[in-house]
Amino acid sequence: MNTATIDQAAIQAVKVPTAVVRRSTATALSARGEPFMWALGAALTVGIVMVIGFLLFVFWNGLVTFVPKPVAVVTLKSGTMVAGEPTRSEFYRLSPDAMRALPPAEAEKMATNGGYGHRTLYRIGNYDLYNEDFRWVPDHVVGNIDYPKDVIFVERLEWGVFVGRIKSVKIGDRDLASPTPRDPALLAAHEEARARWQTIRHIERDLIGHVNHDLEALRLDVRHAEIIYGPSSGQAEKARAAEAAQVPALKAEYDRLTAEAARLKSIDQLNAITLADIAGKEKVLPLSNLVRFYPANDLSFFDKVSIYLSRWGEFLSDEPREANTEGGVLPAIFGTVAMTLLMVLVVAPIGVITALYLREYAKQGRLVSIVRISVNNLAGVPSIVYGVFGLGFFAYGIGAHIDDLFFPERLPAPTFGTGGILWSALTLALLTVPVVIVATEEALAAVPRSMREGSLACGASKWQTIKNIVLPRAMPGIMTGIILAMARGAGEVAPLMLVGVVKLAPTLPFDGYFPYVHLERSFMHLGFHIYDVGFQSRNSEAGKPMVFVTTCLLIGVIAFLNLAAIVIRSRLKRRFAGSQF
Amino acid sequence: MTDGTIDLSPFAPGSAPSAAPRRPSRRTRRSVLVVDAIANWTITIGGLGVILAVFGIMIFLAEVVWPLFSGSHVIAQSQAKLEGAASDVLTELVDEYRTIVVSVERNGHVAINHLATGRLIKSRKFEIGERKITTFARTLNGENVAIGFDDGTLRLGRIKIETTILKASIVPAGLKDLGHGDRTDGDAVYSVIDGDQVRRIAVSVDLDDPQRIAPEGVALVALDFRLGGTVERPTRSFVSIDASGAVRLSRLETKRSLLGGTNGQATVNSTDLPSLPAGTRVASMLMTSLADQVYVVDRAGTMFRYDTRDPQKPSLAERTRITPEGVRVTTLGFLVGEQSIVVGGSDGSVNVYFRLQRPGVDTADGFVLVKTHELERHSGEVVAFGASPRSKSFVTADAKGNVWVRHSTSNQTLLKLSAAESAVTAVAISPREDGIVAIGTDQAVWNWHIKMPHPETTFSSIFGKVWYEGYPEPGYTWQSSSGTDTFEPKFSLVPLIFGTIKAAFYSLLFAIPIALCAAIYTSEFVGPRVRNIIKPTMEMMASLPSVVLGFIAALILAPIVESWIAAIVLAFVVMPLSVFLGAYLWQFVPQNIALRVGGAGRMLLIGVVLVVGILLALSLAPWFELAFFGGDFKAWANGDVGSSRPFMTLLAWPASFVILSIAETRGYLPFMPGSGSSRQRDNALVDLGRWFAMLAASLALALLLATVLLAVGIDARGSVINTYVQRNTFVVGFAMGFAVIPIMYTIAEDALTAVPEHLRAASLACGATPWQTAISIIVPTALSGIFAAVMVGLGRAVGETMIVVMAAGNTPVIDLNIFSGLRALSANIAVELPEAVKEGSLYRMLFLAALTLFVMTFVLNTLAEMVRLKFRQRVTQM
Repeated sequence: MNTATIDQAAIQAVKVPTAVVRRSTATALSARGEPFMWALGAALTVGIVMVIGFLLFVFWNGLVTFVPKPVAVVTLKSGTMVAGEPTRSEFYRLSPDAMRALPPAEAEKMATNGGYGHRTLYRIGNYDLYNEDFRWVPDHVVGNIDYPKDVIFVERLEWGVFVGRIKSVKIGDRDLASPTPRDPALLAAHEEARARWQTIRHIERDLIGHVNHDLEALRLDVRHAEIIYGPSSGQAEKARAAEAAQVPALKAEYDRLTAEAARLKSIDQLNAITLADIAGKEKVLPLSNLVRFYPANDLSFFDKVSIYLSRWGEFLSDEPREANTEGGVLPAIFGTVAMTLLMVLVVAPIGVITALYLREYAKQGRLVSIVRISVNNLAGVPSIVYGVFGLGFFAYGIGAHIDDLFFPERLPAPTFGTGGILWSALTLALLTVPVVIVATEEALAAVPRSMREGSLACGASKWQTIKNIVLPRAMPGIMTGIILAMARGAGEVAPLMLVGVVKLAPTLPFDGYFPYVHLERSFMHLGFHIYDVGFQSRNSEAGKPMVFVTTCLLIGVIAFLNLAAIVIRSRLKRRFAGSQF
Repeated sequence: MTDGTIDLSPFAPGSAPSAAPRRPSRRTRRSVLVVDAIANWTITIGGLGVILAVFGIMIFLAEVVWPLFSGSHVIAQSQAKLEGAASDVLTELVDEYRTIVVSVERNGHVAINHLATGRLIKSRKFEIGERKITTFARTLNGENVAIGFDDGTLRLGRIKIETTILKASIVPAGLKDLGHGDRTDGDAVYSVIDGDQVRRIAVSVDLDDPQRIAPEGVALVALDFRLGGTVERPTRSFVSIDASGAVRLSRLETKRSLLGGTNGQATVNSTDLPSLPAGTRVASMLMTSLADQVYVVDRAGTMFRYDTRDPQKPSLAERTRITPEGVRVTTLGFLVGEQSIVVGGSDGSVNVYFRLQRPGVDTADGFVLVKTHELERHSGEVVAFGASPRSKSFVTADAKGNVWVRHSTSNQTLLKLSAAESAVTAVAISPREDGIVAIGTDQAVWNWHIKMPHPETTFSSIFGKVWYEGYPEPGYTWQSSSGTDTFEPKFSLVPLIFGTIKAAFYSLLFAIPIALCAAIYTSEFVGPRVRNIIKPTMEMMASLPSVVLGFIAALILAPIVESWIAAIVLAFVVMPLSVFLGAYLWQFVPQNIALRVGGAGRMLLIGVVLVVGILLALSLAPWFELAFFGGDFKAWANGDVGSSRPFMTLLAWPASFVILSIAETRGYLPFMPGSGSSRQRDNALVDLGRWFAMLAASLALALLLATVLLAVGIDARGSVINTYVQRNTFVVGFAMGFAVIPIMYTIAEDALTAVPEHLRAASLACGATPWQTAISIIVPTALSGIFAAVMVGLGRAVGETMIVVMAAGNTPVIDLNIFSGLRALSANIAVELPEAVKEGSLYRMLFLAALTLFVMTFVLNTLAEMVRLKFRQRVTQM
């Protein structure tokens, strides 16, 4: 009985699958789900194209910014001349009013084009003469475009670029006859004027700055003594005496330096260049005011390369000018690096300790899951909230107390009681600590249990085991975490806007005055520089090239850090690869 | 054993003599133990510090925010008897430092008393002769007063409190001590302050010549006045009512002689206003600064409003009851800014009225008085009122001696003070809003030192609708600063929360499909080698600084989107269509070739198809714009040209396609040809044909749907699509997508990859295709992980700052329009906190915004983490 039923069941069971198998030799199209897979694939493709396209766009724009471009001289149909670097061109829709103003033939042409015209944006410079840096020139008003060889492109210390011709040059009491941009006498005089300008800047900023610093220090000493010991105490008397003794000498030094600067400036005024714009409007400038000039349409490949490199050199090693839209970003690079390193000093120990607690010390239970959820929350809290916390707690809370205790003589001007590089670093440390924790935890988990047990069995204490066995093996992961934290920290801007970043920092956080490291000072930052130049400058178009280069640099730094993380991880992994039981 | 030890010794001959170092001590060295204990403690404390950090941040933010909701309290109070006072007090003035109180009495006496002790410092008298004061008016700061007399004349006066800071050394000697560190010389009060200095407060009182307003012998019963004009030609405007019921608007001009004479010629020009109904008993009257509105209230509670914008043709614009029948108006006054009128009634009611423009009202000028705020009732008759010169705070007192400090806009009673059982005749808020002074009929003076740091904020004023001065109705408004002095900051977080959610919603609308679809494709349809390239590439997007994204979005993308908006809208149609068309055509390719091309090869093909789609969209854009948007997208979005039916059809298309597909799989559409052939090419052809048929059918259905929706009044244009602004939510959504996609992608991909391999293998072994495996086995298993990914992505979108700061235009409006700007909580903090005064209302409000953000992301992240932990547990159990 039993066997019979089983047999029948078996036969039926066998029969059904055969039918299925035969039908499925040609899979039904709906089962393949080809359209849906294409949709999924399209999403991924869009994602990848977005990333790569974005990076290429930024890098391309950043890298071509410093390439010297030819200067076009456009003669309009009305006879007016416009000279400038063609920046970009686009199709645009003409407003109905503009359409009506067109001559009928042009209007007809536009109409066939769907009302679209084409226009080019020229960087015309000469802001002091025209009150604009850029001008759109629609194609239909252009008569003739020309690239004359004698047009020069001048980068100035003030008012941005100048596009035009050299009219005359006065060096000392002698005039150059028919000056050209390549005249060796002109180049030599320019070199000399720049050197002189550097000297003047050195005197005004460094030497006079030093005198002012000393005067301020004396004044603060007196105030400090008066506040701490009372205005009529012996200490205060002594401080006042010291001030009285030193001030005359400093004042004399100050006068001597100002006189020297004035003398150099008067020499500087004797070396002047007269430039004329394309319409012949003249402008006289001291030679020292010219950063760089070149005949834009008469450059060899070598010239172009050297101008390109010299612009990069200036960008990386100089200070910003012209409301940050020209010059370099050295203080911003310095600020970014210094703040990030300071942050690492804080974030590394905290992150590693927390990860050690989670992996090595804590009993896995409810408490640990609460810590984990907290870590995840720290990672997920918006960065701006950290900024608010940093401002309220660090700067206005702790900082204000530090001021009361240690710097009462400077009040009401805050020292630590306002945003600064230390508070920024601490704020970002809070923000990036989860990155270190997660990476360290993973690294600790990857250290084989057998190694710990071996060490403990040999009689090592728990801490000895961690210090000598676990941590060295986990180092690659920890390093990776730290570097990733640096990358995250270097790109964060929003919290810094609240706790210490400024558009232009007069002094760096490190200098030659005791105590050399000034953690209370505000600083410049590449990310904030992008925001500031792109959004707060007088003309966002003028700032755009600078923003692209800065962006390029910032992404470069972050990409470098990310790459370093990957390389270090693989290096150290290889070194420890053989050390497992 | 012993033998063994001896045997070993030859191997280590050098160390043989001393046995002790050879045998290590069993006891662990003390230093090791100590270090171990230190490490133990440090690490445990450090680890638990993370919890502390999270809750510490929350508690700190909450602590800063808390005073917004509490705050007001009495610091000290004192009571004294005003020395030398004899009759009714008409009004009182307190100086900025709450040192003295100046009271004007009905008999013309002006007494200056020390506030803390009530001691008389000086008494002056307005020289009023035989006349009797019948009415009195003052400006809000109390410096200027006008007195009306029983003989129909009126005099202007000034009470000036002058404060000077002196060095302690030049204070005259022989001063009389007043107590509380104050001294007097019988003229001024000297108070010791910090830094070896003394503050001198003196009062000067003077009264101008009488001006005749009403006929001889007719008493003035009510008046109000305002100062205006220039220093050279000051003008004073008066409005007055005399005992005969005549209402006059008068102007007093004084021409100063150029030679510097102090008293120039004063001239009075009066215009009669339309007279009040006979028998009206006037209680009080008010006039605005520009002398363009005059309010008269009679004792029965009727308000007469005169429109005097044209002084030559004044009119009685409105007549309305402002108290219920049988309730008298007992106090009337403006708040600072002179737009809010506070009315106190004999039943203890205190209400605030605004003059608002309303269409279709029956008043002469289109304005009407509207009761906007009804404040807590006094239990007795309201007898005195005093307004703050700097905010919408005011103080009212009732007949039972209750003195209540209130705030009009936030509708709250800040403090309830009590002046025992005596009747209060005058109350005042000190100029710095740190004191309340009440004077009773028995010449008692109560002095409260109070602190009310944030009177304008309550929980309901921050999260609910508030009726602000000058606004036609209650609303949600965020406006923290403005140019004018009398500006009232408007703190409603609702527009900001709305902006945050709007930006997050639109960015997720874009990011979720891309991130999740890409994750599924990466984990299921490409090989490990390709995945190892693709995944880091997508993750690289995560390390792009958001300031860069914001910059590109705002300065590069926004102008491009603006000029190519039609093409971009079209691309949303063309790109999916071209991908699907590509897929249907791909089905013609024999399966063995298709398998060999694999996932990565297919991606390349898709890339080509997408490029073709984009080019198609670009070239078709002008035609599309003409056909769907009347030739100009922006004008269309604004509602100026074209109809919205074509676009609504387009919007309904995907939905109707889905509806039809479901109907088809359920078998409701039997007329659709099935693909039963064994030849692949035939099947592919049928499939393609069916797709085209479905497209056409769903388009028809969409048209029908659109028509129906428009007929019932649902229109995307005017709500979701409206006036185009360059920096808008669409651009923000796209840029923020960049920031959100990588994190969502990574978490979702990890979740999908974490699904155990044996599930996949089993499914494939049962004959399921990779697609079937992915969609019915892998995705459902990983669903909780994918949910966590979306939550984390949402958290990221909510908190993203730089992109919204730069690309969102920062306009705090509540508006669904995808093409308008927005202001998010995070952007608002970044923009306004650097300017906010420490511990001011704005500062605390921004901390509240931060706390709101924190709580929002805390909930999202905790939820995500809990779901993820569950998921991990489930997967490991499989």
